[in-house]
Amino acid sequence: MTKLNRREMAEKTEKDLAHKVLDDIKAPKDLGLLRCVQCGLCTSVCPASRHSEYDAREIIKRVLDNDETIIEDEVIWNCFYCYTCHSVCPVGNSVCHVNQILREMAIQKDVGKKQIESFMSFADSYLEEGLGVIPQEYQGQLKIDYGKHWENLQENLQEVREDLGLDSMYLLPEAKETVDKTLEAIGFKKRVQEIKDVRNRK
Amino acid sequence: MEEIKKFIPTEKITLFRSCLVSAEYPGVEASTKYVFDKLGVEYVIDRNQSCCTGLGHYYDIFDELSTTALAARNFSYAIKNNHKQYVPMCATCYAILKTSAKNLNEKEDVREKINKAFRENGLEEFQYTKGDIDPTNDITHVVDVLYYLKDKIPEHKQRDISGLNIATHHGCHYCKVHYDDTLCGYRNPEVIDKICEVMDSPALKWYDQKPRHCGGGFRQRYANRDLSLDATVDKFLSLHREKIDVLLVMCPNCQVQFDRYQYVLEEKTGDKHYYAVLNIAQLVALYMGADSYKVLGIQTHTVNLEPLLDKLAIEYNPKGDTLHVTEE
Repeated sequence: MTKLNRREMAEKTEKDLAHKVLDDIKAPKDLGLLRCVQCGLCTSVCPASRHSEYDAREIIKRVLDNDETIIEDEVIWNCFYCYTCHSVCPVGNSVCHVNQILREMAIQKDVGKKQIESFMSFADSYLEEGLGVIPQEYQGQLKIDYGKHWENLQENLQEVREDLGLDSMYLLPEAKETVDKTLEAIGFKKRVQEIKDVRNRK
Repeated sequence: MEEIKKFIPTEKITLFRSCLVSAEYPGVEASTKYVFDKLGVEYVIDRNQSCCTGLGHYYDIFDELSTTALAARNFSYAIKNNHKQYVPMCATCYAILKTSAKNLNEKEDVREKINKAFRENGLEEFQYTKGDIDPTNDITHVVDVLYYLKDKIPEHKQRDISGLNIATHHGCHYCKVHYDDTLCGYRNPEVIDKICEVMDSPALKWYDQKPRHCGGGFRQRYANRDLSLDATVDKFLSLHREKIDVLLVMCPNCQVQFDRYQYVLEEKTGDKHYYAVLNIAQLVALYMGADSYKVLGIQTHTVNLEPLLDKLAIEYNPKGDTLHVTEE
């Protein structure tokens, strides 16, 4: 009887942040988060830690300290997702994975949706063509950075591909249809709409 | 040759298409096909295949479940076609596909959720059965295949490419994500270096920042441009100090970072030094005699390749490039 009560209590208690991270779909089964000894090897190889306020070791410390304010902290958006930290960690932890999960938690709220809404044309293109493209929102800067040659490439891409003896880069029409159905079935379209709603509310 | 612990296919391959290769450096696809044909590798390309989602996944636009469901859909075509050996040209596709196969095999709830969505929406044909795809042995990168067949490469030698000062840059998502599956080391990655050796054009044994990231960083390149370029500068300056002729890559995203941004980086650092950026498949194709415009597709590169061809005394017809316009 006592046992049952304890279990019931445990079920009511909300999990701490570290366990929420471990339970996330993005967490590899053997993620060594709880084994972190704060050695700092991750920080020492991390491009974001070298060039911004982001500190890979600190991210893990805050997660282990159950500091949920990290979800709303802009600093999590500085990770490069290069997995260098992941590849050197002596205890099999991965700040890179933890960051992806923290961002997803932020996306469940408005704060994260605002961070990614400028990339939504990638989703639109995928829904239309089953292919990714460079987000429209950044094309202006890219035209400056990449120069006229790149614009010429965009305009003549099909011809260039034909010269190289390559088939069309686009999916077959029936394939586009099943990609679209798959994304509807799995809930991706709903996710896209929710992110766009936040943009439109601004 | 170092002991290879994973299966590397030479047949029943689906060459997995990459959105960045297709739109930015299509010559990487043409070169891979050219080299595979020379080496007798049997492969197909399937226009039912959708993009792996990788860029969108790492912009945090795609959630894990959607990416995994699309991978299940793609896997089903490869299996149906009896070409289930997926060989991507891009490091991100490689890692995304492996992660998806692991999710589908190891996480029953994920697999069931996806299969249920397929069943309830008339997409039964895409359902995934545990073990359909082995993430280690059924998904290999083009460089794995080239490494495996490297001793056959010199049989097709048409051009001398020795004497180049080459640096290699290995894709992080090839080396570091599923590092147990990486050939020839991931802390000091050397798989591309080993392919260079058989063409008598050895790469620099080491240079400062060698295992470091290109700086692209998915969202960072766009939303955090300065941070992204600051990270690229670390490696860029090291390459300048080494006075390299060529930076060899294995991932189109790294190629964008070092090729498309080369002049931006020169301006940012005030440091100038010409070097070309090539995918390893393009260099092997060049060695095997492929045309610079019709196969390598050098006209799509921001940084002209012609000075490198001059150095190697390789003939070319500059009319093959209609994309670079001379300033008037």
